[in-house]
This record gives sequence, C-alpha cells and structure tokens, in this order.
Amino acid sequence: MIARILSISLNSFRENLREKLLYNLLIFALLMIGSSILLSRITIGDYHRLILDIGLASINLFGVLIAIFVGIGLVSKEIDRKTIYTIVSKPIPRYAFLLGKYFGLVITLLANTAVMVLGLLVVLYVMDVPITGLFFQSIGLIFLELMVITAVALLFSTFTSSTLSAIFTLGIYVIGHMSGDLKELAKKLDEISQAIINVVYYVLPNLERFNLKGHVIHGLDFGASDMALTISYGLTYAGLLLLLAGIIFQRRDFQ
Amino acid sequence: MATSTIILKTEALRKTFKVGFWGRQVTALEGLDLEVRQGEVFGFLGPNGAGKTTTLKILMGLIYPTSGQAWLFGKPIGDRDSKARLGFLPESPYFYDYLTGAEFLRFYGDLFGLSVSVVNRRIGELLELVGMTHARDLQLRKFSKGMLQRIGIAQALINDPELVVLDEPMSGLDPIGRKEIRDLILRLKEEGKTIFFSSHILHDAEMLCDRVSILVKGRLVAMGRVSDLIGADSTHSIEVLVEGLGSDGLAQVKPLTEKVTVTGDRALLILKGQQSVNEVLERIRTAKAKLISLTPHNSSLEDLFIRQVREQRGEE
Amino acid sequence: MRVFQPAMRISLLWCCAGLLLGIVVLIQLKLEQHSGGRIAKLEQLRLLPRGEVLRPALLGYHHVGADFLWLRVVQVLGDRVVRDQDYEWLYHALDVITTLDPKYVYAYEAGGTVLAELAARVDLSNQLLEKGLAPNPNSWQIPFKLGFNHFFHLNNYRRAADYLAQAARVPGEFPIGPPLYTARLAARLYAQGNNPDVALEFLAGMLDQTTDEKIRGQLMRRIKRVSLERDLQMLERAVQQFVETRDTRPPSLAKLVEAGLLAQIPHEPYGGEYRLDSATGDVTSSTHSERMRVYRSSDSMASEGDPE
Ligand SMILES: Nc1ncnc2c1ncn2[C@@H]1O[C@H](COP(=O)(O)OP(=O)(O)OP(=O)(O)O)[C@@H](O)[C@H]1O
Ligand SMILES: [Mg+2]
Repeated sequence: MIARILSISLNSFRENLREKLLYNLLIFALLMIGSSILLSRITIGDYHRLILDIGLASINLFGVLIAIFVGIGLVSKEIDRKTIYTIVSKPIPRYAFLLGKYFGLVITLLANTAVMVLGLLVVLYVMDVPITGLFFQSIGLIFLELMVITAVALLFSTFTSSTLSAIFTLGIYVIGHMSGDLKELAKKLDEISQAIINVVYYVLPNLERFNLKGHVIHGLDFGASDMALTISYGLTYAGLLLLLAGIIFQRRDFQ
Repeated sequence: MATSTIILKTEALRKTFKVGFWGRQVTALEGLDLEVRQGEVFGFLGPNGAGKTTTLKILMGLIYPTSGQAWLFGKPIGDRDSKARLGFLPESPYFYDYLTGAEFLRFYGDLFGLSVSVVNRRIGELLELVGMTHARDLQLRKFSKGMLQRIGIAQALINDPELVVLDEPMSGLDPIGRKEIRDLILRLKEEGKTIFFSSHILHDAEMLCDRVSILVKGRLVAMGRVSDLIGADSTHSIEVLVEGLGSDGLAQVKPLTEKVTVTGDRALLILKGQQSVNEVLERIRTAKAKLISLTPHNSSLEDLFIRQVREQRGEE
Repeated sequence: MRVFQPAMRISLLWCCAGLLLGIVVLIQLKLEQHSGGRIAKLEQLRLLPRGEVLRPALLGYHHVGADFLWLRVVQVLGDRVVRDQDYEWLYHALDVITTLDPKYVYAYEAGGTVLAELAARVDLSNQLLEKGLAPNPNSWQIPFKLGFNHFFHLNNYRRAADYLAQAARVPGEFPIGPPLYTARLAARLYAQGNNPDVALEFLAGMLDQTTDEKIRGQLMRRIKRVSLERDLQMLERAVQQFVETRDTRPPSLAKLVEAGLLAQIPHEPYGGEYRLDSATGDVTSSTHSERMRVYRSSDSMASEGDPE
C-alpha cells in the first residue's frame, strides 16, 4: 500500500513541478532573500537581524503561499478534471489517494524550502551572520507549519470549491496566528465570548506555536522539551486534519 | 455452463441527485436490476441522460447508490480484490496530460501494485494492441481525442482484467477507429474476458453484443439477446426492385405484395415476409422482367430502441 | 444510511478524530505552562522597528498594524507585574503604534495613563501625550490627561490650567466634547491651584473617565488622601476663626461645632479620628501624621514630591 501511496505522491509531485506558480513564487522568494543584502547595506546598526528577519519571513510566507494555493487544488482539480475516476476505480482505498496527494505536496514543499534555505544560507555566509542551531529549529517548525496548512487546504478541498478553500484556508492561517492574542484579550470579555474564543483557540491550529523567528533574532533559547512538544503538536494536528479529510472524502460522490 | 457465472449484478439500484441550492431531487436511476455473465459482451444502451454513466459510476465506487445493491465478482462493490480484476474506461476521459504515454500506463500499473517487469511488458503489449506505439514518449496533452480514447482503453487493460467496463468507448472516434475498437473488443472476448460497455451507437452494439439492455430514464425497458429482442416483434419486410414488368406481370404479383410503387418502367414491390419471395421471383421470371435488387429489411436494434424510447416517453 | 459504508468503521474513525483533538488540546495546555512565548512577545515589542520604518513595510495596512500592536501591548501589560525600570519598551511600543496611526486617541490616552499612574514615568507619559496633541485637535482627552499629569505629578498648576482650558475648548457634548466641569476646573486652577477642593473635583473627573480597575484604585486612594487634607485644612480654619473671635484656643473640636463654626466634625476617611491639641491649637489625624505640603502655602508652586 505504501508503494502505491508513494506512486500517487510522486505523480502529484511531478504535476506540481509543472505548476508555473511554483517557480514564480520561488524566484520571488529568492529575490527577497537576496534583497536583504541590499537593505542591510543601507541600514545602520543591526543588519544580522534584518537579514535573518527577512530571510525567515520569506521562507515562511512563500511556503505558506505554495501550501495554500497548490494545496487547495490537490483534490478539487482531480475531481474537476475527472482524473480521479480512473484512480478511485483502481484497487486503492480513497484515503490512500488523499495521503498520496498530501505527501506529494509535502515533498514539493520540502524541495522548495530546501532551495530557499540554501539561498538564505548562502546570504548568511556571505554576510558573515552566525548560523545557530536555533536557526535550523526555526526552519523545522516553519516546515511543520507548512505541513499543517497543507492539511487544512486539503481538508477544505475535499468538500468545497478551490476558491472557497482558498478563502477558508487563508482565514484559518490568519486566525491561527492571532488566536493566542485573542485568548488573552478575551480575559476582559464576558463569559460567553470567552468560551467561544477558548474553543477557537484550542480547536483551531495555533500556528503561532511554530513561530520561532523571534527566538532566532533575539537569540532566545527554545528548549528541547518545548521543541518536542511543538513537533508532536504539529504532527498530531496534521494527522487529525488528514483523518477528517479522509472521513469526508470517503463519503463523497464524484460527480 | 461455465459462462453462466454472474460477474456483475445490480438489484433495485436507485440514485437520486440533489441539484441546485434548494436540493431539488433528480432521479437518475429507478430500481435497476442487471446481470452480466462471465465471458459475454454486454451492451448497456440508452439515450442521453438515461443513467448509463450513473450506473457505471456506482459500479466503480465513484458514487454511492441512494438505495439498492450491486455486486462485482460476487462481492459487494467497493471490494478491493474485485477492483483488482477490473478495468474501467470513463466517459470522455481526461488524464494527467503532463505524462507521456508510457509514464501514464506505468502510473496505473503501479496503482495495481504490479511488479516493474510486468508493467514494462504490459506497456509494450498494450501500446501495440491499441496501435499507439508511436506515442510512447509523447505527452498526453499532445494527443488527439481518438488517441486519448485508445490510451484510456490501454489503461483499463493494464492489469489484464477479467471484466472490462467501458463508458462510451466509441464516442469521438472516426469509422476506422470504431472498427478498431470493435475488433479489440472481440479480441478481448476471445481471450475470455467479460465486456460491459455503454453506448448509444446501436449499430456497433448490434454487431458486438451477446446481450444488451436498454435503459430509458433510469428504468430498464428491455434486456436479452439482440436476436431475441428483435425477433420477439420482428416484422421483416423485403423490397424487390424490378424493371419491365409490364401491366400483366404487375397484376400477377400484386396479390402477393403489401405495397407496389411504380415509377416509369420500374416497380418497387414490398413483400410481407419470406414466404412469398420465391413465388414472386417465379412470376417475375415468367414475365421476363429484369430483377434489379432484392433487399431484406430486418427490424434492427435501432427500430426497437426508438420504439421503446417513444413508448416510454409517451407513457409519461 | 448508505449501503456500502460500514457504519461501525465511520463512527470508529470519528472517535479517533475526537481522540486526536483531545491530544492536540492537551499538548496546547502543556505548552502553555512553558512561558517562553510570553517572553518572546515582550522581546518582540522591545525590539520593534521604529514606526517610520515599519509604516511603509506594512503596505497600507498600518492601521491594522497599529491595532495588532496595541492588542499585543494590552496583552503583555495584562501579564506583567509592575517593575519600575521596565517600561521603556512600553513607551517604545506606544510610540510605534501612534506613528503608525497618529489618530489612535485611545492609545495616547490609555498609554499615557498607564505610563504616569502605573509606571510612574510622567516624563514618558507627557512625551507621548504631547505627540498626540497636534494630530488630534478634536480630542479633549489628551489635553485633559496632560493637565492631570501637570497638576498631580508635576504640581505645575499654571500649565495644568492651560491644558484643561485647551480641553474645555474642544467643541461638542460629552463624551465627544469635554465634561461640563472642565472649564470650571480650569478657571479654579488658575485661581487657586493648591486648594484641595479643586484637586478633589479633578480627581472625581478623572475617576469618571477611567475604567481600568488598577488605575481607579490608585485614583480612589488619592481621593481619600486629599479628602483628609481638605478636612484638616477646614478644621484648622475653624480653629483659627475661634481664636480670632474669642481670643482663646478651643478646648476640643466639639466646641467648634457648638460655636457654629462647623456644621459637624467630618469623618476621618481612613476610619480614624481628628484630634485637637488644645495646648498648641494644632489639628491632626489619628491615622496620618504627615501633611501634604503641596496644599499648605497659598502661592507655592514648588513641586515637592508626590502628594501622597
Ligand atoms: N452530478 C449530477 N447531478 C445532478 N444530476 C445528475 C448528475 N449526474 C447525472 N445526473 C442526471 O442523471 C441523469 C442520468 O445521467 P447519466 O450521465 O447517467 O446519463 P447517460 O446515460 O450517461 O447519458 P449520456 O448518454 O449523455 O452520457 C441525467 O438526467 C442527468 O441530468
Ligand atoms: Mg454517459
């Protein structure tokens, strides 16, 4: 079964590689990372910070864009183009198809992130910015965030159109980064709003957990146990989303 | 008889779709009962919108029936072992157009979990079979419609299936292409495979099928051997065209015909059945007239089809 | 129920989903116990780039940026115990916010209050509020708060009166315009800045505008203290009058009431009592021995420490 999932993944990866969007975004990201060199020339003071800041933010942002805009098409495109007919009629369960598509995009994101990280490492090396372990921890968590967002996009694309999926996924992304702040604010509100915000906070993915950019820039430590917890949080959450997507997908008619 | 094993069966299959914002119900299938036996070529016929594709989608596990049941190889549909023994060509297929012909077939081979050597062998065989060897390394987006249909059939055969399900295999093909597909289906039948295909090209079905069923508005209106279906209400007629029969000769044959049309020197005689043919020919010979043509008109599947569809529509 | 879906399996899967959700929430709770995130948030605020730099980077979303930062500030403030020296970040963050959105009146007002009352950084508070004056000519809150700062923290009655007069000139009815007493308060400040009654009216006005419990508590403590001072001054005036009319010191405070110089002896706000030293004629409180020097001499403008 794993071999079959893998062949769907690789096929999906091959399909993604033909996406022009991907290259545009990648080039743009590399340009941004490169441009931090220029910016650091014209700012006074702490240019290490600036390069790290822009670099990590670019990797994160463009990864998220790819995850969302390729992710929402993963399943809906196959249904629209009816390519799914020949796959579902083969002896593979529907969840395997879903997992295959998911990992196909994860592989794509891995390749993309690798290219962007490489670009950033070159810039950091050229500019003599020290590279810490924290930097790689942060990249790891960015990638975990991408995995969660891909799963969100996949979940939506199993039951709505691409456009709605994009809107919902973007919404989850924004709320996922703000829910921590919302929860703190809710302390000043009445009980009902507090309860609602608490549900949002605990049930929706708390993406701020994957954000170590502040730590990297300010050299704050992120302990091994925190790291382990955060990783298990991301993986469990992605698993939950995939499970839900699988349940919905299993019940679906392909029309 | 070994061939009477039932390979595909549906029982009271019903499917309703919800359409529009308010979820208005549209019934696509109303209690369909079908049986397809091993080794036969079964034609699933019906006008546009009859519910053919809907039935095939249910059988392939693409959509779920609203009620009723269906079995493939004696197991409820969705069973993975049965799917491994199955080949499916969807209606006007769309495929991954960034793959080449060979990559495309390899992908499906992998989905069946076939070994690399088997897949490689099958790719060669199948490209040969559907006459697409030249398109081995061509991307699918450069394929013509007929080429897509062929590679689609090749895809359906990658696992050497026992049952081949084809949704409109001849649509979009030119007469030569259709003939090739017909030959292909007959070849598969010779190999002992069961073929279940939908079509509204009745001529093809008539030539190929052991049995057909006719579906109109989600209901089965006829099912059986083509000859039985036609024979059941056959009204054979024979047209005889003669020249220089003369008024005497005409008077001689007239009682034996149903209708006579005279145009100048020629006369078109329409005979009721086989019985009077010899007698008529005898009288033509004695009148020294010249026989130009003799055309037997079998009541075709097409007549049956049109009659059934009309009846069904008239009812409503 | 659909025929081809084993109902059992689906419900089992739903159970799995529930379980995973439980695990997710548990991990969240566990992560919350580690407070790393909060420190990071404070650090982010401390090291926020200057508003002038941030503004173009926000591509037109600088109002949202200001809102977002404000939420952050409020949140970090809510978490923190007051540590005196640790308010530079707050000023910096507020400065960034008000650069992103110079018309964010609430940020000036609330920020100014917190800086002055909780952080004891009147200098920073005034700096922030002064920055808000120009872009917000229609806000009475900013000059009102500045007046308050100058009156209570800097004891500069003249400047305080100027600011209150500016607040009083803002058109409109309360709460769009200033409360009615603003003009009167300004006038009284010009006339008699060191009168505790003026201070009490100012404090009552400020209390009206404040919702934050911590700051309200602070204001109420101040009101109590000034009330004590006002009572003492009133009692002293009565003693003075007694001496002037009868040429002898009153033997007790009760005698002042008997003589018709007082309607009654006021209640000591801290629950103690007022005492009269019949030998010297001094009036004291049983709870506080210190007096508030600000309100002693009629024309002093000296800023001699906190009035509390
Ligand atoms: N997804 C769907 N939503 C709503 N109605 C549908 C859907 N799919 C099919 N139908 C309806 O069900 C009926 C049967 O459609 P189906 O596609 O099975 O016909 P068909 O026999 O394959 O026709 P054709 O020969 O044109 O391919 C039609 O009336 C069609 O409108
Ligand atoms: Mg059809």
